[in-house]
Amino acid sequence: MEAKNLEKLENEMYVCIRCAYCFEECPVIRERGWDTDGARGKVMLSYGLMTGDLEATQEVADRLFQCTTCGDCMERCPSNVTVVDIIAAARADLVKAGFSSETHERVIQNVKDTGNIYGDTEGGIEGKEGDTPLFVGCQYQSRPNKTKKFIKILEKLGIDATISDEVCCGFPMEILGFVDDFDEHKERFKAAFPHGEAITMCPTCTVFLREGHDIEARHLLQAILEVLPQGDLGMKVTYHDPCDFSRGLKIIDEPREIIKRLGCELIEMESNKDGSACCGGGGGILMSDQELSDDISLYRIRQAVATGAEVLVTTCSTCETVLKKAAKTVAELGEDTITVRNIEDLIWKALK
Amino acid sequence: MDVDIERLRSIVGDENVSDRAFDLYVYSSDASVHQAKPDVVVRPGTTEEVQDIVRYANEKKIPIVPRGAGSGMSGHTVPIDGGIVLDMKRMDRIMDIKPEDVLVRVEAGVVNDDLNKALKPFGVFFPPTPSSGNICTIGGMIGTNASGNRAVKYGATRDSIMGMKVVMANGEALDLGSNTIVESAGYQLHRLIVGSEGTLGIVTEATLRLAPLPKFRMIGVVNFDRLEDAGNAISAIAASGVKPSMLELMDHVAIKAVNTALDMGLPDVEAIVMFECNGMAKDEVDRDMERVQEIFKEHNGSGIEVSDDPKEMARIYAGRKKLFPSLSRYKEGLVSTSLADDMAVPISQIAATIQKIHEIAENNGIIMSAYGHAGSGLIHTKILIDPSQQSQWDASAKAVDEVYKFIREVGGTTSGEHGIALSKAPAWKEEKADQLETMRAIKKALDPNNILNPHKLQDAPDDWVTATDLRYKVRG
Ligand SMILES: Cc1cc2nc3c(=O)[nH]c(=O)nc-3n(C[C@H](O)[C@H](O)[C@H](O)COP(=O)(O)OP(=O)(O)OC[C@H]3O[C@@H](n4cnc5c(N)ncnc54)[C@H](O)[C@@H]3O)c2cc1C
Repeated sequence: MEAKNLEKLENEMYVCIRCAYCFEECPVIRERGWDTDGARGKVMLSYGLMTGDLEATQEVADRLFQCTTCGDCMERCPSNVTVVDIIAAARADLVKAGFSSETHERVIQNVKDTGNIYGDTEGGIEGKEGDTPLFVGCQYQSRPNKTKKFIKILEKLGIDATISDEVCCGFPMEILGFVDDFDEHKERFKAAFPHGEAITMCPTCTVFLREGHDIEARHLLQAILEVLPQGDLGMKVTYHDPCDFSRGLKIIDEPREIIKRLGCELIEMESNKDGSACCGGGGGILMSDQELSDDISLYRIRQAVATGAEVLVTTCSTCETVLKKAAKTVAELGEDTITVRNIEDLIWKALK
Repeated sequence: MDVDIERLRSIVGDENVSDRAFDLYVYSSDASVHQAKPDVVVRPGTTEEVQDIVRYANEKKIPIVPRGAGSGMSGHTVPIDGGIVLDMKRMDRIMDIKPEDVLVRVEAGVVNDDLNKALKPFGVFFPPTPSSGNICTIGGMIGTNASGNRAVKYGATRDSIMGMKVVMANGEALDLGSNTIVESAGYQLHRLIVGSEGTLGIVTEATLRLAPLPKFRMIGVVNFDRLEDAGNAISAIAASGVKPSMLELMDHVAIKAVNTALDMGLPDVEAIVMFECNGMAKDEVDRDMERVQEIFKEHNGSGIEVSDDPKEMARIYAGRKKLFPSLSRYKEGLVSTSLADDMAVPISQIAATIQKIHEIAENNGIIMSAYGHAGSGLIHTKILIDPSQQSQWDASAKAVDEVYKFIREVGGTTSGEHGIALSKAPAWKEEKADQLETMRAIKKALDPNNILNPHKLQDAPDDWVTATDLRYKVRG
């Protein structure tokens, strides 16, 4: 197998001293248990693919795609190894060698055909002129009711958004290994969203607008926090940090301040902030390994239930979807459960 | 090697056996420079399963290597002769917490920090505090007699082991030690297992001695323009009767690494020492801290800062904490290798040893930093090399040789906490030359077919560089 992407990270793979600190909270090794499942194992698989000591097979590819890219390993790594970059590079080389999953291919084809990951040709959010460019992103484009609510919240708070006829930020291409497609997509993105700065709705898009497109992106909760009045919801809530928020953007305090500003009592889960446990929805596993995703999300929802809070609040629509499903599953298993809400629902309720 | 995979599956279940190429590749290495593939990886869940696996391996003379997190730095779990790697992490039950008997009974795959989390509500803890405590297992700690930055006060794993269940090479499970704080005569077989690196038996359960969680602690930092003064101060503290719970030293290469990589602005001095005192009463901790500071001042220590505020304590300790990533990023193209990674010397020899390490590094054209748990005479080094260059390995091999020769000359020992396995074995065999035959006789008596982690310690190859493949591709 040609390993052009991995070769660029050879030194990074040497920097990994294979200490296993990444085992500590890795959701995949926790659920599956083999050393191969943890970040150290995946960095080793990547190294083996690069040197040719390990033959590229579908099973090896499956292991490298069994990662939510939640980045917890990078928080714990004593050598600050950029594990997710290595895994993304390995995926890129594997995809080039013909080891991609059909579901991932379909998503990428959707982006190419329609500009969004779901292949939606209808609906979406209508464009409008305003003061501040808003990047909606695929997740929120496909949830128009939710998104309209968010836009209304912005209006209520005096933020007038410009909405473009945007296309996907391209992050799925980057993380699922379709890097050549991303090179082409980048131009299309730029034409559709020609702004140098933006407020954003999805944590992942926020990171990728910054890293992949050099756009000064700011998540809209940061903008909302500046103008949000005191509320009195009086609810007991716990908060799930989406990985791209707490670990990617280092946005840890703002959502908590919003929750408190809304008049809610915040109870932290056992793992939280930049050490937050993964929801199980990232890195493509939701499409390629539903069972693993479910197992990871059950662990997280049980942490939320253990707080005794009434509501689990999060700020990412993927986390919300996955955790809602987990909340339903634990209820079906006869365990205590919890209501899951995205933060805009609470803000909306408070502002009403 | 002919291993009956079906037989192993019938013992532990299909899902706990793997001979898939990618699993064997991953289980071929640990945190060392070594690499060698097993034939199969097995994940037992009970002592009985371990017994059945060992009986089979013994009958067929198949090597068997117990493995916890695989965080050993000298090739401990690298299966040099292939065979079975026994991943013990499924055996992770904390069975019996008994503060009234100051003990806890656990399975061998329990992770150190998980245990301490479970013990916290009882106001007790398991005192060996390896930095790798977040992932290392009790079995691995017993295997290497692990300790950490608080060994200066609490000792090593061996000091907190009361007993254990061990599966011997013939498959028999023995209950060694006792549940009591004192136990008189007779061979202390549980102590023999501590530090045996998986070569004498497979620990499946352990009874551990607990200590009360200290209620108060305080951290401080002090700078020394001369390394020798730092060494003398640490010796004076050791002799003073005060028992700090931590005494960590960083040399000037380590300081430079942190400053270069992270711009932390640590002072440009020959040594920085971080210290901690803890205890059950505040006045006791205050008194110890004062005495320690007096001694530092008497030995020309300057810029002393102390605090019991959690945020300030974290800031003071940040330099030491950031040392590891900094060494990995010291210079583009150089990587930090686990070579001559740990040693211990009589405390009075710390300064001379660090000075010698720098001299050896310079003479061999490599970079070595020295730091460590100075209060227990323990020194860690990291060798920074371009691992793709054969010449760098030759230079490292020579430096390792010279360092350990010096260690022996000053009455030190080859490993203070990380263990021996493969890469430290040549030096260790020189150090223990008079005991090797006795050790081999013990090994032969307990493991006549040489199945348990063979060719480690006294039986390891004489040249660590060629003992196995290296985990790095060496090109020129
Ligand atoms: C970054 C880093 C920091 C470290 N810091 C410290 C430190 O501060 N102090 C310290 O002492 N060490 C330290 N170590 C070394 C290492 O983490 C310790 O030796 C640790 O105790 C090993 O535990 P493990 O579970 O990883 O064991 P492994 O590496 O898997 O095994 C270690 C040895 O024990 C044997 N073994 C494992 N399980 C069993 C069992 N059930 N029965 C019999 N034998 C068994 C193995 O065969 C092997 O020989 C560090 C390592 C790294 C990489």
